[in-house]
Amino acid sequence: MAFVPKKDLTAKIMRNKVYNLLLQDKRIDGRHPKELRPISIQTSLLSKAEGSALVSMGSTKILTGIKVELGTPFPDRPDEGTFTVNAELLPLASTSFEPGPPDERGVELARVVDRSIREGGVLDLKKLCLVEGEKVYIIFIDIYVLDYDGNYFDPSLISALAALATAKIPRYEIVDDKLQKTEEFFSLELNSLPFTVMVGVLGERFLVDPQMEEEKVLDVSMIIGTDEKGNITCIQKNSPGQVSISLMDEILETVIEKTGEIRRKFLQEVPVKLASTA
Amino acid sequence: MLKPERLIDESGMRVDGRRPDELRPIKMEVGILDKSDGSAYVEFGGTKVVAAVFGPREAHPRHLALPDRAILNCRYHMTSFSVEERKPLGMTRREVELSKVIREALETVTFLEEFPRASIDVYIEVVQADGGTRTTGLTAASLALADAGIPMADLVAAVAVGKVDGQLILDLCDVEDKYGEADMPVAMAPRFNSIVLLQLNGRMTVDEFKRGLALAQKGIAEIYRLQREALKKKFSEFTPAEE
Amino acid sequence: MPIYFSEHEVVLPGQLLSDNGKRSGDGTYTLGGKIYAAQIGFATIKNNKVTVIAFKAAYKPMPGDRVIGIISDVRPNGFEVDLGRHLTGIIRIPDREEVKSMKLKVGDVVYVKIRESGLSGVIIDRGSRIRKIESGLLIQLHPSKIPRLVGRRGSMINVIKKLTGCDILVGKNGYVVVNGPSPESEFAAMKAIRMIEREAHTSGLTERIERYLRELLGK
Repeated sequence: MAFVPKKDLTAKIMRNKVYNLLLQDKRIDGRHPKELRPISIQTSLLSKAEGSALVSMGSTKILTGIKVELGTPFPDRPDEGTFTVNAELLPLASTSFEPGPPDERGVELARVVDRSIREGGVLDLKKLCLVEGEKVYIIFIDIYVLDYDGNYFDPSLISALAALATAKIPRYEIVDDKLQKTEEFFSLELNSLPFTVMVGVLGERFLVDPQMEEEKVLDVSMIIGTDEKGNITCIQKNSPGQVSISLMDEILETVIEKTGEIRRKFLQEVPVKLASTA
Repeated sequence: MLKPERLIDESGMRVDGRRPDELRPIKMEVGILDKSDGSAYVEFGGTKVVAAVFGPREAHPRHLALPDRAILNCRYHMTSFSVEERKPLGMTRREVELSKVIREALETVTFLEEFPRASIDVYIEVVQADGGTRTTGLTAASLALADAGIPMADLVAAVAVGKVDGQLILDLCDVEDKYGEADMPVAMAPRFNSIVLLQLNGRMTVDEFKRGLALAQKGIAEIYRLQREALKKKFSEFTPAEE
Repeated sequence: MPIYFSEHEVVLPGQLLSDNGKRSGDGTYTLGGKIYAAQIGFATIKNNKVTVIAFKAAYKPMPGDRVIGIISDVRPNGFEVDLGRHLTGIIRIPDREEVKSMKLKVGDVVYVKIRESGLSGVIIDRGSRIRKIESGLLIQLHPSKIPRLVGRRGSMINVIKKLTGCDILVGKNGYVVVNGPSPESEFAAMKAIRMIEREAHTSGLTERIERYLRELLGK
């Protein structure tokens, strides 16, 4: 089901304005095309969530919470814990979000964040196994968009990783063949930090981290993620429209630089336990 | 969460150290979100709620618009991680019911006739629940409506009173709500001493109800004062333009 | 008349303003013969009426108002113009050929005059010119900030125009279009406009805006 924004009518003159500015390496909010908005990260805000993080990128604000339950593993992976990612574009965030079950955009957001974490190999799921074939930890990563001024993708992933990094998981132990909850908690070790950058293309130019006014006039947008080793961990073209192959090299180069920036900011703000590289 | 031995001891001290007529620490902030027309964040102890308002705006779908006034829509919702046991995504029946009673409270004080064919949309999101989420949500929603400039007869202030171990208490926390004998959320337009939301879950004598209402009124007077303070604080630097 | 506020005091919804129910103005309501505030704003006496100048008041279209809108629908008998929020203006043109000749499409920005606003909606004046805006930066403000953006007899907007060299078209509905000689000048005008939006209700704003622009543009 396609979503057609009703009142978010786009003024044609804005497309021309954004494009003409881009040709001069300028943007309507004064940023350089390859400049991200200021990022702020707060963690461990909520007592009923095992982990939580509030991230803002410019005016866009995302709140993510981690809930942990015990459950059965997948039959084909009996010695691994599991995680699922859910996302809700809350109607309080924007005039273009309506209440109701997640529309295709909310589902897409959840799945894109999921893939970044899964394919990025962020979590060692074998460490989340309690009794092989019977009981494992199930990690719920629930993302809520609270305020939307363009690009909910990047800050959603940042908040998911920040919440995971600072989560306190209750430790269970086996006593007399039974699982018992102890008074202790443990932290999750993260194997990597694969961030994404949303790229918007207009004609033969592109910009990163579009704010709302820019998002409305882009020819096409996509999300690309890379990890600290320079591997690409996520690609999602998330709008109609076309992008010229010749632009891809420069886009990738920019993405790698920008995810590096996000990573540095993340390591500054978030006490994360990184697994040592083998 | 295990049921405590006693919810209130001989000296009248509650599980969190409060007296029977004591409110939890309350925090209020107005205008915390950028994209909505009005917003507010309110904490009553461990209960934390965000509220936002969009409006007046075009009613969707158009055929539901009313010719002579605005529609007030309200969505009360809890995040999955606001509670101990993860709440699955989507609206539960409880959220649907609470959305309705909160909407009805707000409709009562809002001048909807000012905006025919429009809608005023109120969104309440509970990010942490520790009892009194609907009353905290309503208190926050009222602030958000005022922040958005929606004309109203009065602010709405709300609190839940209850009964534990036979005693009436003000502003129930989660434990007291779960294991007590009665939970009665009350919301008022304090200027006019009128009740705009009233529910009872549990059992009370007529006398207990009357005393409970008086206790609620006392708490509401304080909450109303804090709301006005929070609103004034946001606009404290405002001075009139050279007319 | 007995009043319970000092001039330009910040009042809140439900606050008692006066016992004389007959003199209720904008932003207030009467009940039981008394006047109460209905919105947050400055309480004042205006034209002998107890009025609240609301910090955020929805725009009420009045005949003669000049507004900026985005064409949201093209019909055989005219156009629909999005004026923001809950307001849609209607341009009625009974002649199908004339509609086609105007070459207006969805997404075009127009500067128009309001003829009337009532139960049948907001009607755009056909007699006045319907000006299509060809280019510029469209900024959407809350309509209640527009009086401050313009200033008394244009004092504020003229400061911005003079210092930035930009042409600034202001719609009473909160839409503003900026066209300038350079991206820097347009950016400066935009920053000044956003600053006014944030600080609309503070004093000494005109001087601060002037100082800000001089600094930003190195003048």
